[in-house]
Formats: sequence, structure tokens, C-alpha cells
Amino acid sequence: MKKLNEVLENKIQGLYYGNRVLLPFAAEVLKLIYRNDIITDFSWKKKGARYKIYDDYMEIYFCETEDLDREIEDYDVIKMVVVEKGEDLFDFKNHRRIDLRLLGKHKLAIEKVEDEMLFFE
Amino acid sequence: MLGKKLIVFTLLATLLFGALSVVAASQPETANAVASVVQEAGETAEAAHELPDPFMVLPFVVLLLMIATGPLFYEHFWEKHYPKVSILLGLVTVVYYLAALHDTHSLLHTLAEYLSFIALLGSLFVASGGILIKVDKKSTPMLNVMILLFGAVLANIFGTTGASMLLIRPFLKINKDRIKPYHVIFFIFLISNVGGALTPIGDPPLFIGFLRGVSFFWFVEHIWYIWLPSVLLIAAVFYVFDVRNKGPETNETEYSGKIEFKGGKSLIYLGIILLSVFIDHGVMSWVPDLRPFPIGLREIIMFAVMYFSYKTADKEILKYNEFEFEPIREVAYLFVGIFATMVPALQLIAHEANVYGSDLSAGVFYWTTGGLSGFLDNTPTFMNFLSAAMGKFSLDVNSAKEVVDFQNMHALYLRAISVGAVFFGAMSYIGNGPNFMVKSITERAGLRMPSFFTYMVKYSIPILIPIFTIVWLVFFYGRG
Repeated sequence: MKKLNEVLENKIQGLYYGNRVLLPFAAEVLKLIYRNDIITDFSWKKKGARYKIYDDYMEIYFCETEDLDREIEDYDVIKMVVVEKGEDLFDFKNHRRIDLRLLGKHKLAIEKVEDEMLFFE
Repeated sequence: MLGKKLIVFTLLATLLFGALSVVAASQPETANAVASVVQEAGETAEAAHELPDPFMVLPFVVLLLMIATGPLFYEHFWEKHYPKVSILLGLVTVVYYLAALHDTHSLLHTLAEYLSFIALLGSLFVASGGILIKVDKKSTPMLNVMILLFGAVLANIFGTTGASMLLIRPFLKINKDRIKPYHVIFFIFLISNVGGALTPIGDPPLFIGFLRGVSFFWFVEHIWYIWLPSVLLIAAVFYVFDVRNKGPETNETEYSGKIEFKGGKSLIYLGIILLSVFIDHGVMSWVPDLRPFPIGLREIIMFAVMYFSYKTADKEILKYNEFEFEPIREVAYLFVGIFATMVPALQLIAHEANVYGSDLSAGVFYWTTGGLSGFLDNTPTFMNFLSAAMGKFSLDVNSAKEVVDFQNMHALYLRAISVGAVFFGAMSYIGNGPNFMVKSITERAGLRMPSFFTYMVKYSIPILIPIFTIVWLVFFYGRG
């Protein structure tokens, strides 16, 4: 399994197909911003988004979307606060802010949220 | 992708109604009415046609209720289908006017106003998206108050929309460690609304007043002494809120105190938009009159600036601003329904205002113009009550000379209507165009904003109504 730092430093890309995003690391998602949706409830009761963590990767489904390509614009990103699998969830120092940018042809850039960008945890 | 959809949507609407205008213009009995209505923004159309059935206010009420309840009770349906709902309800009114009232010119008039509205908002939104202002200072209540006051003044130079779009991102960034919804709500109060009461550029109703003959500097000369205490009072209430919000105790961030500005090219585009506001046949006689087409040279320039400012903007700045068309798309779709469905409401109000106008005092003009501007478009509301107030003194709003007479001899009434139309836009999210855009930008940054009702119940009613009541008591009560 790749570590998040390794993914960010080496600019390893994720994948997306339709409404499904695949990320090459495993992490708990605390907060996710997709367009106008601020999603913090990932339970089955809510339709916003769900995610699953596997041994080598994780996946996120955007339940209200059929195709991310059609909804996300050129400079738009999906922003997330995540805690890498195995790290202490309750220590704020482990809360990592990343964004996902669609590159086309199913490729997904994974980047650290830059200081210039607006993102409230 | 969505930007293209928005452009296609606007072009289709323009072409559709352009074709409609040609059909209407080909009918001799309506040609003059069409021309006069498209030309005379804000003129009440009821003179040429019968009044709508009061039940036709229902689509507007339904749309308002759905805007208020959608995000609360059926969020996913609303998020996915609000454009269809808005257009469908708008079509109910359009079909009624075409089939039952045979009134095309009220629709054309509304379309001309809508296109003008969306051209200004859209171009300011896109151009300001290419500007990055970084203020590396520690957030303090006093710094926030200074920014809000600066924004209130700036709203009179760049318009409430331009000032809001320029300042909302730096304001959010400065407060990133202790941001709360009240920060954004006071921003909406002061910069997106109340601030812009001093010049015709500040808010569209004042601009319509200027086009009708009110002197450019009349507003600042006659409103500043209402504007100043109101702005200071709202800022003081904000200070009380903000001083109690201490923020995180362990903030080790170091601040350089620098203010950085990037995107000079986009600033030039902003300047072009602001200058183009004056490109109107009524202000400059050399400007070609494109009637009966419901779009003028000004709107064409604004749409062109919108396109070129996006295409030539610094990509890094667009990336940092996470620029996208969704906030303006939301405004475009919601307001196409609002503009269409509010036609019957505005015509009925215009009728009532003209019938009872002679009995109304300045205070009543203040409250009625204000109360309706909080939920309806404040430009036609301003025009309807200006027309009624001038009618009270046997003056005609269509005569520039009589408008000048009115501003000189009955300044109290013009003051009451102007202050009501601008200040009360802060009462709800739909009271003024930038309100929704500021809300949308904030939510995309991860801060959940209060619902439509909560905004009113928790903030605008308890904070603004007492201040607006003081304004009424001091400046309008028992006068006129």
C-alpha cells in the first residue's frame, strides 16, 4: 500500500470512472466538498457520497452523480480532509487536506490543498 | 462545460425572445408598446394591457417557497432539478401572458431586464475571478470592521456585485482560522447591499433612477447621512459578534502583514465593465438603439468581456480561486424563474401603488419599497414606487425634466424609495444578486451557510429590522 506522502511527493495519480473515484492510498475521509455539497455524513442513510477502504487503495462513490466529467469544470476540484489509515484520527496534526483534480481520460491528480485556496476544515 | 451550457442557455433565450420581439414588432397595435417598454426599463406595462389575475402570483410564491425549503427538506431533488423547476414555473407565467393576456411586451421588458442583470453579474463575476488578493494579516475584529467599511465604500465604485466578488475570497482567507457564518452574513449586509447606496453604480435601482434623470451625485449628497450611521451601526453590531469569537488558542501562524495583488489584466476588464454601464442610449445619444431586440450594446460588451476575461485570465489565479461557473449558473437559473414569475406581482403592486400613491407618506414608501425589495427584484420595485410617488405630485416619471423637479422639490420621497430599495436587499438571500453568489463561494470553501429561513430569523430580522426602524424613525417618520 502506498503512503499518502509518497503519493503527493511522486505525483502518483488516481483514477475515476463515471461516478467512482479510486485513490492509491487508504484513508478515513472526515469531510468532502463536492461542488456545492459539504459532505460529512457518509452513512448509508445519506445519498451524497460513500467510500470504502481496501488494503491497497480506497474508492469513493458520488451517489448523486452519473459522470464526474460532466459536472466538474476546468478549475474545479474535490476537496477532502483525510486521515491516513493507521494514524491517530483524533490528533488534528494527522488531518490532511487534499484536493482531487480531473485530468481527463480517467486520470486524477492528487494534490495537497495549497495555502492560496479556500478550504475550511 | 457548464460555462458553455450557460452561454448556450443565454444565447438561446436571447434568440427566442429576439424572435418573439420581431413577431411582436410586426403587429402594428403592439409595436409601439414593445419599443417603449424595452426602451423604458422599469416602466409599468399595465397601461397597455389588462391586469393579471391575482392567482398568477402563485408561481412566484411557489418558487420562493421552494428556494426556501428545497435545501432543507428535499436537498438532493432540489440540487439536481432546481433549473427545471425555475424554468417550468417561469414558463407558466410566460404561457399565461402569451395565451391569456396576449401581452408580449411585458415579457420582453422582463427579458431585457434579466439579460441586463445577468450580463452585469456574469461579467463582474468572471472578471473578478481572475484577480487574487492576498492579505497576510492576523484576523482581528477591528481588521474585519475595516475591511467591511472599505468594502461598503468600494461598493459605490465597483457596484455591490463587483465589490463582493473582489473581497469575499480575501475576507474568507483572513478569517480562515475562526470563520463563522456571521462573518459572511455581515459581509452580505454591508458590501453586497447597504454599502452601495451612494452612487448609481452601487445598485441597479439607483442606476435606473440615474437613467431617468436623477443627477449622478444626488444620491451621495442626499443619502450619505443615512448611509453613514447605518453602515457604522451594522459594523458595530458585527464588532460585538466578532469580539466574542476568540478563535483557536494555539494559533502559531506567523503573519508578514503583506497585501499582495495579482491579476492586473482582469482589473482592466472590470474597468471596461464599469464604463460600459454608462453605454446607454438614454445617457449617450450616439449609442445605437437596438430595439426591439431585448439586448443593448452595453450587454453585448459585458458578454464579450465575460468571454475574453475568462479566456485570457491567469490560469494559476483561476486555479487558486477554484474558478467555476456554478455560482453564476445558479443565479442565472434561479433568477430566470424569479424574473418571469414576478411579472404579475410587480404589475399588481404597480397598480396598487398608483391607486393609493397619493395617500402614502414617505415612511410608507420606505417600508413598502424596502419590504418588497427584500424578495422581489429591487429595480422594478424602485421604479413602480418612484412612479407612484411622482404621481402623488402630478409629475411623470417618463419626463427627465419632471424627475429633476421631483429630486429637487420632493427629495424626501426619492430618499425613502432609494434607501428602501438598496438597504432591504440584505433581508434575504434573493434580495440582491450578489447575496447568492457570496453564499455559494463560501459553501464551496467548506463553510455551511444558514438556510433561507435561518438567515432571516436569526440574522436579518433581529439585526437589520431594528436598524432600519431607527432609520425610519429618524429620517422618515411623520414627514411627507
